[in-house]
Amino acid sequence: MKTKKFSKAHYDYLKLHRTKKILTLLTQIAILVAFFLGWELLSRFGVISSFFFSSPTRVAKLIGEMLRSGELIYHSRVTLNETLIGFAVATGVGFLVAFVLWYSNFLRQVSEPFLVVLNSLPKVALGPIIIIWFGAGDKAIIFMCILIVVIVTILNILNSFTNCDNQLIALGKSLGASKMQIFFKIVLPSSLKDIISTLKVNVGLSWIGSIMGELLVSKAGLGYLLTYGKQVANMHLVMTATVVLCLLASLMYFAVALFEKLMQKKLK
Amino acid sequence: MFVQVKNLNLIYQSQTDETQALNDISFDIEKQDFVAIVGPSGCGKTTILSLISGLIKPTSGTVLVDGKMPKPKDNLCGYMFQRDNLLPWKTIEKNIYFGLEIKKQASNERKNYAISLADKYGLKEFLKKYPSELSGGMRQRVALIRTLALKPELLLLDEPFSALDYQTRLNLCNDIFSIIKREKKTAILVTHDIQEAISMADKIIVLSARPAKIKAIHLPNFEANLTPFERRNTTKAKRLFEKIWQEIQDENKKI
Repeated sequence: MKTKKFSKAHYDYLKLHRTKKILTLLTQIAILVAFFLGWELLSRFGVISSFFFSSPTRVAKLIGEMLRSGELIYHSRVTLNETLIGFAVATGVGFLVAFVLWYSNFLRQVSEPFLVVLNSLPKVALGPIIIIWFGAGDKAIIFMCILIVVIVTILNILNSFTNCDNQLIALGKSLGASKMQIFFKIVLPSSLKDIISTLKVNVGLSWIGSIMGELLVSKAGLGYLLTYGKQVANMHLVMTATVVLCLLASLMYFAVALFEKLMQKKLK
Repeated sequence: MFVQVKNLNLIYQSQTDETQALNDISFDIEKQDFVAIVGPSGCGKTTILSLISGLIKPTSGTVLVDGKMPKPKDNLCGYMFQRDNLLPWKTIEKNIYFGLEIKKQASNERKNYAISLADKYGLKEFLKKYPSELSGGMRQRVALIRTLALKPELLLLDEPFSALDYQTRLNLCNDIFSIIKREKKTAILVTHDIQEAISMADKIIVLSARPAKIKAIHLPNFEANLTPFERRNTTKAKRLFEKIWQEIQDENKKI
């Protein structure tokens, strides 16, 4: 392919395409720069109160201080731990349950109303119960995180499994494939795209789970920093924790996006 | 007799109703016969194939293929669908192996046989491509090779040409007909296209409206060595077409 000669029009087309891509990226960077610059200038010239809004330089300074003291790493690690465990357990369990419910029509029909109700129930409402059962610690937070992620995972993945092309399953059956073979050779590969998009959704949900848990009950973590900062009216701390949270969440999202790219390469 | 269908009855159950799909169907097929089943739409043509392949069980009556009750697990029948059902995430080569893989017969010898079929029938250059890169006719050809790789004795063709455009359909009819004849396979073709049935089959079974009974059996007796395309243009084919057309028309009036 690389040796193929194209017309000038094709190179023009490619150039236009690239220009558009660069323009998009530049605009995105410009928005970020404008946001932080505006924030900084507005608070520096007293248009907005730096007590309520903090400022990027103050946040950066605090990040530097907390990095040196090790506090930032410590709290980030606590939250990251809870999030990753919640994400992994909920995704794994959700996948397994979805498989079992796909396999057994009976169990699927039995569990359907329960899943629907559990899905519409705001899991935060179970916070008090979870704290009493698991104690005011990271166990409760992880459980909260799992609860928030697992139901959606089951529903999404099960939906993808049951929507598998019937004609392909008919082909498997005509070849005498067992139900396990149909799952691993036909249903699972067909669902790969949906599973990856479920992973992406789960990244966001597991952060919601762990921070929600930390806001309810915690002795450490970024959610703890948020609550603590709020209580002592230290907006610099609140903003810092928020910024760090944004950074970590984007990192995790990019990790999943990278995984998606690798899978796509493997698939095609 | 290679295939024996005797007093076949099938009643479908559903919550609101029970529907008799087949009513006392009996016919025989000799080895290397090419039989076509035609009839008004929804009369249960595909059901007969499902019964012969053993995918569903009859309410009463028997199906024997090579003297045994058919099961999808044995290698006796090869099923070909209206859609090629190629797996989009596998290359053509891997798709051709798919049946062998499911039946756990993907030995090198069987794979080589599959590849030799692909070679013989003009798919060699496509082996590393993906289904989305092939035309509909080519894809259906891959589906046939996937089926033949299992060395089935009996091919069940469930309207395999109906999703294709006219030109491709006529060409593929010729190709698949000659492949089946050359590989000396027995075949049952279900179709709603009367001309297609006449052009390919040695024996044409016309079904009535639901519940399907056998309305007529025709033996066209074309001269040997005519391709389906050549058969289409004979006066014999035209006369037979009118006859079968009328038979199905009568049935359609009953619905």
